[in-house]
Amino acid sequence: MTDTTTETHVRPEFVVERLEAARDVDVERRLSLFERISNVNAVRKLTILLGLVVLWEGYTWIGKVEPLLFPSFSASASVLWETLLSGLMLEKVWITVYVLVLGYAAGLFLAAALLTFAVMTRIGSDFLSTMTAMFQPLPAISLLPLAMLWFGLGVPSLVFVTIHSVLWAVALSTHTGFMSVSETLRMVGRNYGLRGIPYVFMILVPAAFAAILTGMKVGWAFAWRTLIGAELVFGAASGEGGLGWMIFERGDNLETPYVFAALFTVIVIGLIVENLIFRNVEIGTVQKWGMQR
Amino acid sequence: MPERVIQPYVREELDGRDIGEAVVGDVERRLSVWERVSNIDAVRKLSVLVTLVVAWELYTRISDINELMFPTFSSTGTALYNALVNEGLLINVWNSLSLLLTGYGIGVGIAAMLVVFGVWTRFGSDLLTTLTAMLNPLPAIALLPMAMLWFGLGPAAIVFTLLHSIIWPVALNTHSGFMGVSETQRMVGRNYGLRGLSYIYKILIPAAFPSILTGLRIGWAFAWRTLIAAELVFGGQVADTSGQLGAEGSSAGGLGWIIFQNQMENQTPYVFAGLFAVILVGIIIENGVFRNVEDRTIRRWGMQIG
Amino acid sequence: MATGSEPAAGTAGTTPAVPAAPVLDVDGVTLQYKTKEHLITATYRVGFQTYPADRFVILGPSGCGKSTLLKGIAGYLHPVEGEMRLKGNAIRDPGPDRCMVFQEFDQLLPWKTVMGNITFALLNGGKCKSQDEAREIAHEYIRKVKLERFEDTYPHMLSGGMKQRVAIARAMSMEPDILLMDEPFAALDALTRRQMQEELLQLWDDTRFTVIFVTHSIEEAVIVGSRILIMSPHPGQVKAELNAHLHTHDDVGGEGFMALQNRIHGMIFADRVLEEETQPQHA
Repeated sequence: MTDTTTETHVRPEFVVERLEAARDVDVERRLSLFERISNVNAVRKLTILLGLVVLWEGYTWIGKVEPLLFPSFSASASVLWETLLSGLMLEKVWITVYVLVLGYAAGLFLAAALLTFAVMTRIGSDFLSTMTAMFQPLPAISLLPLAMLWFGLGVPSLVFVTIHSVLWAVALSTHTGFMSVSETLRMVGRNYGLRGIPYVFMILVPAAFAAILTGMKVGWAFAWRTLIGAELVFGAASGEGGLGWMIFERGDNLETPYVFAALFTVIVIGLIVENLIFRNVEIGTVQKWGMQR
Repeated sequence: MPERVIQPYVREELDGRDIGEAVVGDVERRLSVWERVSNIDAVRKLSVLVTLVVAWELYTRISDINELMFPTFSSTGTALYNALVNEGLLINVWNSLSLLLTGYGIGVGIAAMLVVFGVWTRFGSDLLTTLTAMLNPLPAIALLPMAMLWFGLGPAAIVFTLLHSIIWPVALNTHSGFMGVSETQRMVGRNYGLRGLSYIYKILIPAAFPSILTGLRIGWAFAWRTLIAAELVFGGQVADTSGQLGAEGSSAGGLGWIIFQNQMENQTPYVFAGLFAVILVGIIIENGVFRNVEDRTIRRWGMQIG
Repeated sequence: MATGSEPAAGTAGTTPAVPAAPVLDVDGVTLQYKTKEHLITATYRVGFQTYPADRFVILGPSGCGKSTLLKGIAGYLHPVEGEMRLKGNAIRDPGPDRCMVFQEFDQLLPWKTVMGNITFALLNGGKCKSQDEAREIAHEYIRKVKLERFEDTYPHMLSGGMKQRVAIARAMSMEPDILLMDEPFAALDALTRRQMQEELLQLWDDTRFTVIFVTHSIEEAVIVGSRILIMSPHPGQVKAELNAHLHTHDDVGGEGFMALQNRIHGMIFADRVLEEETQPQHA
């Protein structure tokens, strides 16, 4: 491009009348079995998981680590198996999950009530955003001392802090979701005569579903963390409870394989909620509708 | 369909008509002062806040509720003032924040290394996703008992727990952000000769910044919650066994510890004051730091928040 | 291989054939890529030469591997057979001596202004050492694409046509040996596309760059191209190379223009009766 007067180099045209067939290469070929298997995510991840377990087991065996400080994988796993068989673990799981479900459901309900109020009136909207701005940054667990003062040592206190951890996360996310529903969709809804509650449920909720789901996921994450934390504090302040309490108590008694068994259980519950429940809801809704951000 | 076919009605064409003056009403008019003031967000929210405070004060005064159960707003305010001026509440705030910052800094650093490793090799990427999938759902606070066993009762145990609460959300979001960088932008970067670390800094990080910021935010939220919870547990632990926390006096320990201790001593207004302090710190970090960064980056660049 | 079939518009152009060395020499290139389950051969022994100041259009129906071929030239894909040489040197990796303009609007870095996007290329591509020098060059090219007023605007505020103009300015500012354009106007509305084609020809008149332009619109190929490479699909092979240097917007609908267009149309559809449409799928 140095010479600005360059002219196009005109050369004769040509047409290939008959294309030779591409004989010596495959136009399309299946990959080899190994290539295809190593392309499966689950296989690769399972291998990694196995590798980590072997490493852990090897480290505790070879390093002769004090089992009270760091139990081997096999010791932890066998305790997990035992407690599962004896029903002890399931009992603990039930106590924790019961409180979780109670608090989560109540939190969602309150959030829905606040949101309905917020959608209907501008005051409601202002009220909601002020409250969420105040309470969203406040860790729910810090209300536990007050909750213990008001409701005593027991399930109601736990439910109270769980509600608090769910409510604001869900309300905030849903509210911003509603606010950012496109003007076009709103007009479409009104075009077909929707107003009031049907308008909320048939236009706003599905249109903002991605944000609602995000809020519910964040709410769950906070609730789960708060609940386990609250049970730990409870453990400290005496009382009895579920998984968190078990972790605290067994840790205090230096029964570390039990602590690890409980930690496994906490992880498994987390995985179930995130990968089975939320993931499936996601696949059935926002992903199917192509709305995933 | 009707049987008869309707023909379009062909009319004479129109052209070149003068546009008349608009005579009805003002073309543009300022709204009244009242309308304009009530359109200001801050004004409306402030009035909501004031109303709430007044309602609280009236409720506690009129219903004659026990001060120990639910203090009035004014006594909470006095307690907050006292705590700030006379009892060194700021030192407690600083104790909490310095632990948090230490954990946050180290955690983000570790997450960054993990993610860089994950970008370079498929094995790294698999390892990262497996680890985050396993460990992200585990509340960090559940590791505190083990941490206390390993590191003793002290800041090291708390920092360890904080690390766990920060690394996984940050790594998870950053990694999925990197994965979602559009193929076109990657090709643009390589077209202009970027590779290795400069490719990560100049293309991947800015392009994935919305996800990274989300990760940093979630990391902060988890860490803040974990810290307060850990301080509460510590409080419980210490009150249980020795009745003393490392150092004496209220200037030791963080905000969570202050809340716990005051509750133990039935100083409910001071518990509320501690909660206010927690909220204020949260709002300052959320709006002062993260909001600011968001406004200067992804909002300005017109990127999707995700 | 049979040459011949008399040219519609005549090869006897006004300029004498310049026996220059080709800028780009693609020599029997076979390209393959992998999907999750399959290995697919996109092009099979494709060969052509591009000479200085060529507006070389690669035309073909979807699935003929024309975009893959362009990505190969850009260095993102390595041929399993054959070689591509830029000014005699084999192409190995992506590099700023071949600047690419993509179809997608997100090719502009959203975190940089119009100016920033161009200086980014100049500085990282190694053309400029200092910010000031880069700004000066960027300024010149922004003026060329008539976007002076938007110098400090972020890309999300620009319309689709403006974004593509910035991308073209960014690529041109590097003064690469060859410009690669991958259906750059395909996502634009019809009016804007036409305007952009005119502007591109105008820019070519100014600076006489060498460009390879991929498209699936026959009309666009005839307007933009000086030489058209026609490819057949599954796997992509060279079907023909035709001259179109005599046609621009001025004779759209003219006799020669229509003749050439019909001739290409016949070639593309001759051996595929039930293949998919070649109309631009609107993005």
